[in-house]
Amino acid sequence: MVNELINVLIIAIYATVAMMIGILFMGIGRKIVARVHNRVGPPIYQGFIDIAKLILKKTNITHGWIYDLALLFSITGIVLTILFLPIGGVKLLSTEGDAFLVLYLLAIPALGFALGAGASGNPNSAIGVMRALVMMLSYELPFVISMVALMIYYDTTSIAEIVASQYGKWAILIPPFAISAAVADMALQGMLMEAPFDIPIAPHEIASGPMAEFGGKHLGSLMIYKAGSIVAYTTLFVDLFLGGGVVMKGGIVADVVNFIVWFILIFLVFTLSLLINTSFPRFRIEQAFKFYWKYEAVLAIIALVWVYWMVIS
Amino acid sequence: MKYEEWSKISRIASKKSLWILHFCTGCGAIEMPPVMTSRFDMERFGMAPMATPRQADVLLITGYLTVKTLKRVIQVYEQMQDPKYVVAFGSCPINGGMYWDSYNTINQLDKYLPVDLYLAGCMPRPEGIINAMMELMEMIEKGEARGWEKYRKNYEKYKKNQEMAFKFGKVEE
Amino acid sequence: MKAKEIIGRGEEVHGRLYVKVEKQEVRELIKTLKENKFQHFVMLSCIDWIDDGEFELIYHLWSYEYREHVMISTRIKREGEEMESLHDLFPQIETYEREIKEMYGVNFIGNERLTPFFLEGWPHMPPMRKDFDSKKFIKDVFESIPPVEDEDEGI
Repeated sequence: MVNELINVLIIAIYATVAMMIGILFMGIGRKIVARVHNRVGPPIYQGFIDIAKLILKKTNITHGWIYDLALLFSITGIVLTILFLPIGGVKLLSTEGDAFLVLYLLAIPALGFALGAGASGNPNSAIGVMRALVMMLSYELPFVISMVALMIYYDTTSIAEIVASQYGKWAILIPPFAISAAVADMALQGMLMEAPFDIPIAPHEIASGPMAEFGGKHLGSLMIYKAGSIVAYTTLFVDLFLGGGVVMKGGIVADVVNFIVWFILIFLVFTLSLLINTSFPRFRIEQAFKFYWKYEAVLAIIALVWVYWMVIS
Repeated sequence: MKYEEWSKISRIASKKSLWILHFCTGCGAIEMPPVMTSRFDMERFGMAPMATPRQADVLLITGYLTVKTLKRVIQVYEQMQDPKYVVAFGSCPINGGMYWDSYNTINQLDKYLPVDLYLAGCMPRPEGIINAMMELMEMIEKGEARGWEKYRKNYEKYKKNQEMAFKFGKVEE
Repeated sequence: MKAKEIIGRGEEVHGRLYVKVEKQEVRELIKTLKENKFQHFVMLSCIDWIDDGEFELIYHLWSYEYREHVMISTRIKREGEEMESLHDLFPQIETYEREIKEMYGVNFIGNERLTPFFLEGWPHMPPMRKDFDSKKFIKDVFESIPPVEDEDEGI
């Protein structure tokens, strides 16, 4: 009984720390973008101030109870995704077969967005939500093919097993997985909604899309969701291709060192996605669809066939 | 926690991240892009431009207002969430400026919307705009920028003034 | 001037040709000039001669090839007289006629789009006429609106 309570406490602490790291990354991200533009940016803790200001606003409007509660779907989905991914080698809730579960959980936040934006009744939100769902459909295909290649090579469907099998040799150093990692990195740009794939939340074209009617407390929940999504998606990428940050095996000391290595790795992946963000303009939705289904899917299938040939022979 | 300390924390959080609505009404809109870009950086104070009125804190009236635009500005102002602030640029919202004897522009913005801070000049330079924003942040911290409370309390008086302006003086009793 | 050779009348004022005609002859004159390389319609302007009791409507045309500016001017009475609409010759005349109807009160027959342009719900006389008193209007309408006072003003 006491063991289980301690487990629950550790899981809760890890989930909270992950969300806090996400909010910190939002602030650091704005500073990095500002330095690329050759100016001084906001302080590093700006994410916390933004969320505090938004939650302390009074709400003037409501569009019904679906609009008020829809963002809870998004936050619940993203917290659940974080709990099923191993953070720094520590298994929180992972079991056998959780690769497929994580793929299902990737779709829930977009549904929360769609419900909230649809209930508000703004035509800009409807256009933005339609584009968000089309983009989700298009980036999932190359990403799933890359994950299937990994599952065939390591002969398991549990992400914790994939992390454990990469001890000593990261997956990205094996040649076919270098191609898969490049494909998955581009899919990560779509998941994080950074340029050139920030089509659904474009501020100039469709008045920020689904976020057009959210203000005050609803926008605060949306920022919390965004913070969680940064950590969840970069952790997924690091767990699959960069060894999950596991460099030592052992007791508490190993856990702490693995946590620090995991933090540095997700920071590097996030910085790479930000640097691509500042260098590119925005795609149109049909260009993004063609990019994912024509070029990326072909590369991912080449990597899959190569891995299968390596495993058979 | 007592109410005074709680609202002090709320005011400090509000002053360090003001989000500006990108609604450019008159000739002063040309002075906003230099403030936002690399030379006179306003993001280091936490300010950022936002696309819709529901997400913004500060409404900037940059220049003169015709009666036709005033109707739309009032709709935008009423869509913003409390606490919200109005900053008026240029000399036209103060006393009419260069268009004081025109048949279509209003003379004093304070009769129709509660204004927190005026900034004189025709047009003020970006250094002046950043100075005004820092003054607004000090006013928020001390609790002096309470235009939104004034609008809520005197709603009927403001509505009557707006009706008189929209109908150009011929209000049926 | 080349334009004077084409239409045969008018006087040269400051390098431009100024032709005074009756209001029935305007359409023929513009059609003749349009077929002779005067293909840019610049503007339609209106002057209020309050002492004569007339409005003067001036149609400005420009030619890229000859680089000459022609002004065709007609006069109509201030009260009760209407002008025909020429928007089938140049489509942009429709917008100029809409503005003149709103600011001066001149009606154009044949133009279906004479709805208010800049002034929404304007109940007084057209404001660009010379007997519209601007200062009195400002004092009556805008300065008579009381400022909103608050008892416990903190600012």
